[in-house]
Amino acid sequence: MGYLRKAMLTVASEVAWRLPGWPARFVTSFADSERASGIDMLAAAEHTERGDLRRKYFLHALDESKHAALFLSRAMALGGNKERARAALDDSGTLQRHGTVEGRSMFERLGEMEFLAFVWVAEADAVEQFGVYLERQLPDPETHATLQAILKDEHFHVSYSRQELDRFRKQGQVAEVEWSLFRVRRDRWLGAWLRFSREFGVIVSGLWLGLAYAAMLGPFRGLAALEPGGWRPPLPRPACSLATARSQA
Amino acid sequence: MASHVLGISALFHDSAAVLLRDGVVVAAAQEERFSRVKHDAALPVQAARWCLAQGGISPADLDCLVFYEKPLRKFERILATATATFPRSWQSFPRAMHAWLGDKLWTHRALARLFSVRPDRILFSEHHLSHAASAFLCSPHATAAVLVADGVGEWATTSLWRGRADPPFLEPVAEVRFPHSLGLFYSAITAYLGFAVNEGEYKVMGMAGWGKPRFREQMAQLLRLEADGAFSVDLDYFCWHWHATESFTARLPAMLGPPRVPGSPFDPASDPESQRFADVAASAQAALEDAMLHLAGHAHRALGERALCLAGGVALNAVANHRLAAEGPFEHLWIQPASGDAGAALGAALWAWHAVLGNPRLPEIRAWCLGRRFAPAAVEAQLLELGARFERLDDPVARAAADLASGKVIGWFEGRGEWGPRALGNRSILADPRGAQTRDRVNLRVKLREQFRPFAPAVTEAAAAHWFDIPAPAEAPARAMLVAPPVRAERREEIAATTHVDGTARVQVVNPADSPTFHRLVEAFGGCTGTPVLLNTSFNLKGDPIASTPIDAMAAFYRSGLDLLYMEGCRVERPR
Amino acid sequence: MSTEPEPYEPGRLESILLRIGTVGELLAMMMRGGRWWMLPATITLLGIAGVLLVLQGIQYVAPFVYMVF
Repeated sequence: MGYLRKAMLTVASEVAWRLPGWPARFVTSFADSERASGIDMLAAAEHTERGDLRRKYFLHALDESKHAALFLSRAMALGGNKERARAALDDSGTLQRHGTVEGRSMFERLGEMEFLAFVWVAEADAVEQFGVYLERQLPDPETHATLQAILKDEHFHVSYSRQELDRFRKQGQVAEVEWSLFRVRRDRWLGAWLRFSREFGVIVSGLWLGLAYAAMLGPFRGLAALEPGGWRPPLPRPACSLATARSQA
Repeated sequence: MASHVLGISALFHDSAAVLLRDGVVVAAAQEERFSRVKHDAALPVQAARWCLAQGGISPADLDCLVFYEKPLRKFERILATATATFPRSWQSFPRAMHAWLGDKLWTHRALARLFSVRPDRILFSEHHLSHAASAFLCSPHATAAVLVADGVGEWATTSLWRGRADPPFLEPVAEVRFPHSLGLFYSAITAYLGFAVNEGEYKVMGMAGWGKPRFREQMAQLLRLEADGAFSVDLDYFCWHWHATESFTARLPAMLGPPRVPGSPFDPASDPESQRFADVAASAQAALEDAMLHLAGHAHRALGERALCLAGGVALNAVANHRLAAEGPFEHLWIQPASGDAGAALGAALWAWHAVLGNPRLPEIRAWCLGRRFAPAAVEAQLLELGARFERLDDPVARAAADLASGKVIGWFEGRGEWGPRALGNRSILADPRGAQTRDRVNLRVKLREQFRPFAPAVTEAAAAHWFDIPAPAEAPARAMLVAPPVRAERREEIAATTHVDGTARVQVVNPADSPTFHRLVEAFGGCTGTPVLLNTSFNLKGDPIASTPIDAMAAFYRSGLDLLYMEGCRVERPR
Repeated sequence: MSTEPEPYEPGRLESILLRIGTVGELLAMMMRGGRWWMLPATITLLGIAGVLLVLQGIQYVAPFVYMVF
């Protein structure tokens, strides 16, 4: 890991883990990431054409599910999410995010080599990230123990993915492997930038929408009324035909 | 040349795709079974791709793609409601607009792009019309009253239709409009009881069995039955129409007591608060049932039909459905198994085929296993690759029955996946229902879910009347686990694991023609034990959709406390 | 079976026309339904939507645009 990245992570962790309520948030986000990763690994197990890798992806998926459960249990012990709706979602075990985009899983989008590169980079980053937390004894002994238990599996994930990439290299695909690694690292940085961009955009556009709300809806409040209860006659609709069926309104 | 119609539902919860060929369902699947995201709301690209592959066609061969609602009318409702609730809606408005302005408003373009269908072949049904069609047009009834009740569509939350024998087959009669909604009322109580909305409603139904409806008077104030045969909601207590994240105001806890903390233990036997929550659940359940009976009574008086077709998310409430069948005025009750939003994809397709394209009605749909199946050879190959311990059996049914009779809890993965949220014996976890300890074991060690939740029995059709008091109108819905009749008093101890604390069970009546293999299994178990009833729960763990592929099944098997997995003739044991 | 060699995908112009069509339908619906008072809000929101869509297309520089916008 770059020393700069490690330094930034150390400083950020020392501050963030000590904020009230943040340990539970972090650990919940770890649980979400592990769940999402489990889905991606299962999809890889479905789609790979290599039988030996199918087993490895499958076992990796089981590990991710186990880690997600460990993290979620730890998050609950740390107080869980204070916001009711979010806490109820966590309790239901419903997944919030994953790597499928427009019906294509991460494996389908990246292909075998780049997917393995992604796995190696992501798992190695996780090992290093958890390593910083363990070094700093963050946030508490119980979470420390959870991280240590999970790290054992993460080392295996790093190991098998690196071995597979080495296999590609031995087959003469050195340049392709390096290019895949470059693309993965680049896309992780770009992904982080896009996430920031989206969050920032939500805030700024929220301000504009708030202004629109006040200026455009407020003055007409008197003209709008909630529908009363009880039976109402059906809204008028044109006769059923192909032309009217094409309408979105 | 055959005509193909693809129905799509998406963007709220439970996306699905359904392919019709000449009006007959070729394939139907929910997107969650592909994406592994429960209640996945994304456009069902994977489900649609699979449906087309099943039909052996490409998108260019589709006569039309039908989306299940009118998005612009929905947008209008959101904007009108935000204005009517100004300034309280100041937080929910930007959230809603982010979703609509960036995404949902451009559904037409998204459908054309993602499903590779020319825009002029894309049709838009209406939300409640899709639900109504999904029930009536699959039913055996030439005419019927059709009642749809859910959270909300474009504007309607409850609607009454006349199902006719001639095109356009469905004639709107009346509707109740947002924000007065039975579905949202029940979801608000779900949230009050600490469960996730659009996910935890079943849990409320299960919790209700543990309580007494002592808050009936309060519920009557919250959900008023009107003299015109419909209902209204007291909006002072609810805020689903203006709050960003909550569905009830501070007045509801003031009336019923503090809400339940999500994830907190539930033990009504020893904890008064747990008993209070159970009583709230029971009261809300009773209020919902009263409302459904009230609506059904009006429908019967207004339309004079003998059959009632029911659809919308509220139609998944099996306890309410039983009461409708037992106490309602209709002689026949018909409910489509995926009567939530997933089923609206089927309804949209059927509406286009029959009402828009003018085709005559087709026979009732009875077999609801319309999803993916996997060849035994492919399953075996994958098991070998995964390093599983397994054997191929000539007669898996006999062996499984013996395993079940010896107390094993098994995963059962055979044939095509089910359509709808219920497992009907093709993607099931099965166990011996005799002995209450089985319920606790399956809840805690296998499915990893709350202990208070009941399990459902599957019984052979021939034996059903000896074990359950199923009223005649409920015979059809009982085939798809859509009613919860009482277990006969003398049988309750015998199948304690599937008899809920209130003596009811959400039974599946297994018909040999509709589910031949599963019927043979239940029968074989009956032959071993004298009890032709099995505990049947869906093959999934907490938070996951039902297992859809052999890999899904193996993952659930390894992660859970299941003893064995039966998959397309292979008997899989746990790893050493 | 299909004689078209490639799956259909709306081109850039067609995508824009589809969006314009949607906007037209939306405005017409509001006029027809008597909720004319929603028109100012709708038009403003569609303007914001236009900006959001443009920014979606240039996601990587969006934060800089937002800071100006």
